[in-house]
Amino acid sequence: MVEEALLQVKHLKKYYEIPQGLFKKDIIVRAVDDVSFTVNRGETFALVGESGCGKSTTGKTILRLTDPTEGQVIFNGTDVAGLEYNEMRSLRKQLQMVFQDPYASLNPKKTIKQILMEPLRVHNQFDEKDRLQKIKDMLEIVGLSKDYLDRYPHEFSGGQRQRIGIARAVILQPDFIVADEPVSALDVSVQSQVINLMLDLQKEFGLTYLFISHDLSVIEHMTDRVAVMYLGKIVEVADTETLFKDPKHPYTQALISAVPISHPAENKERVILKGDVPSPANPPSGCAFHTRCPFAMDICRQVAPETKTFSDGHTASCHLYTKSEEEQKYVTSDSK
Amino acid sequence: MSDAILEVKNLKIQFKSGKETVQPIRGVDFTLKKGETLGVVGESGSGKSVTSLAVMGLLPETSSEIVDGEINFNGKDLTKMKEKQFRKIRGNEISMIFQEPMTSLNPVFTIGQQLSEPLRQHRNMSKKEIEKEIIDVLNQVGIPRAEQIINEYPHQLSGGMRQRVMISLALLCQPELMIADEPTTALDVTIQAQILELMKDIKDKNDMSLLLITHDLGVVAEMCDRVVVMYAGEIVEVAEINELFDEPRHPYTRGLIDSMPTQNARKERLYSISGQVPKPNEITKGCVFANRCPLAFDKCFEEAPPVFEKGDHISKCWLQDSKEGEVV
Repeated sequence: MVEEALLQVKHLKKYYEIPQGLFKKDIIVRAVDDVSFTVNRGETFALVGESGCGKSTTGKTILRLTDPTEGQVIFNGTDVAGLEYNEMRSLRKQLQMVFQDPYASLNPKKTIKQILMEPLRVHNQFDEKDRLQKIKDMLEIVGLSKDYLDRYPHEFSGGQRQRIGIARAVILQPDFIVADEPVSALDVSVQSQVINLMLDLQKEFGLTYLFISHDLSVIEHMTDRVAVMYLGKIVEVADTETLFKDPKHPYTQALISAVPISHPAENKERVILKGDVPSPANPPSGCAFHTRCPFAMDICRQVAPETKTFSDGHTASCHLYTKSEEEQKYVTSDSK
Repeated sequence: MSDAILEVKNLKIQFKSGKETVQPIRGVDFTLKKGETLGVVGESGSGKSVTSLAVMGLLPETSSEIVDGEINFNGKDLTKMKEKQFRKIRGNEISMIFQEPMTSLNPVFTIGQQLSEPLRQHRNMSKKEIEKEIIDVLNQVGIPRAEQIINEYPHQLSGGMRQRVMISLALLCQPELMIADEPTTALDVTIQAQILELMKDIKDKNDMSLLLITHDLGVVAEMCDRVVVMYAGEIVEVAEINELFDEPRHPYTRGLIDSMPTQNARKERLYSISGQVPKPNEITKGCVFANRCPLAFDKCFEEAPPVFEKGDHISKCWLQDSKEGEVV
């Protein structure tokens, strides 16, 4: 497969200001702080991190559901961040989103037909008479009966609703879908159904996914490349297999080791992190992870680490690797 | 080790909604031995939380009813107990950790005020002793600067901290049995790992028995000695942990294990159980799982399977019937 960049995110920043009153300085929350990555056509790119790390904000900013503070989002050669409202609106034909909570993301007052008709109407796709047929086809693809057309969202279970949410995103035949925790609200047996559906759709329509999740086992299963986020910054990017085999950043190592075992006889070395994620309103100085990092050194408290490239497409930002080779060896062998 | 601390026998619970009655729990049997961790697994709607609320005596009095069955705790039948007697047990001998730490702590009281409540209820202690006890327990669950935390409100703490406070609340009276209802579901993975580690520690130190309710088989694999698998208000399988993962007898258990992403080849279609859990009012005759079961045959739709026992391994599936045994 020829790697062709479909989406490039360059130095994306999204800051929120919290006013503290007339004479006090506003607090600035750096929800997304200088994030850059590239998503190739046809691949599934994952953003992983704990709650509050800015992964959902990144997804929303790419679609301009919130405006970025700074930076560029280049989709198919156009800078999304600079577009007018109307241009952006028509570009959303190619950029769609699947939301986390299938209970909150479907309008309870509309029937399934209306919900699926809306994107077609807004973007003026197909003749009016063909639209209904298109909707019926789409329902069949996502595994729902066309008898459901006149029902309301509350009549469906969580898994079925998520199918409707996916149908709504795919019906415009977009190139790119941002899926924000699409399966985390679902039960195990239903979760696997929805993951299968997403894999099938990707094959059928050649979709590119930005898959946002905190569930590492799902990520390991269905994505091609992963970016690990911590407090608004990307700390490590790698191919999924490389990341799970050879995680470089101590945070990635801890995250992977925290995943529950899949068989009771499995014996797992645990890196248990101390403490909680610090507030993004008041991030630690230097490397944001130093407060919880088992290998923190003096330099980590003062200077933010630079990004270091290991092999093809594997990068991590950590002082452990910017130091001399010998120390690096010592630390990596120690961590395993 | 062998004597049972909790015995649930043929428990049936009914709910009234309007004129209709539904029965989400239809005959649940299990025993929890002293010092063991028993996992209860199932998807939402399988009745695992209702069962745990029944053990705690927290079912809503007006709309629910225990139709049949016994819950024996240390030889006393909890279903027959009056509210006043129950109060002496609840929070004292049995305590519970809930799923959502934010909604289960009262936002208008400080941590210290909330933690002193069980001690004031069940122990005869002076204010000073209570405070000392609380700080002890908070230190035990790994909360830093406990002396200050007791004067803070729940919203000032993070999710992981709140769950630690909930655990310390459940620990205060040194209960014999702790029920944890999805204690880590609302937490991030790294915090989940911390809390699970903490619960293991505390259980060993205080010699408690733990009833762990979860939908996450990974958590079960990590924590439990034995597992009860529930489906649509019934127990479909009970087994020792390794046996459950190595040779699950019930097709539902097998389906649950097989649909974990880690059990499937990368990028391939995941194994999945088709359909969804039936609602209590949709259940008809036959095996509850028959309509989703890949191995179902005629008998499954006609007659509900009895309990088949093989040593300690219990399952409710016609495939285990010796006459049909060769089908497996």
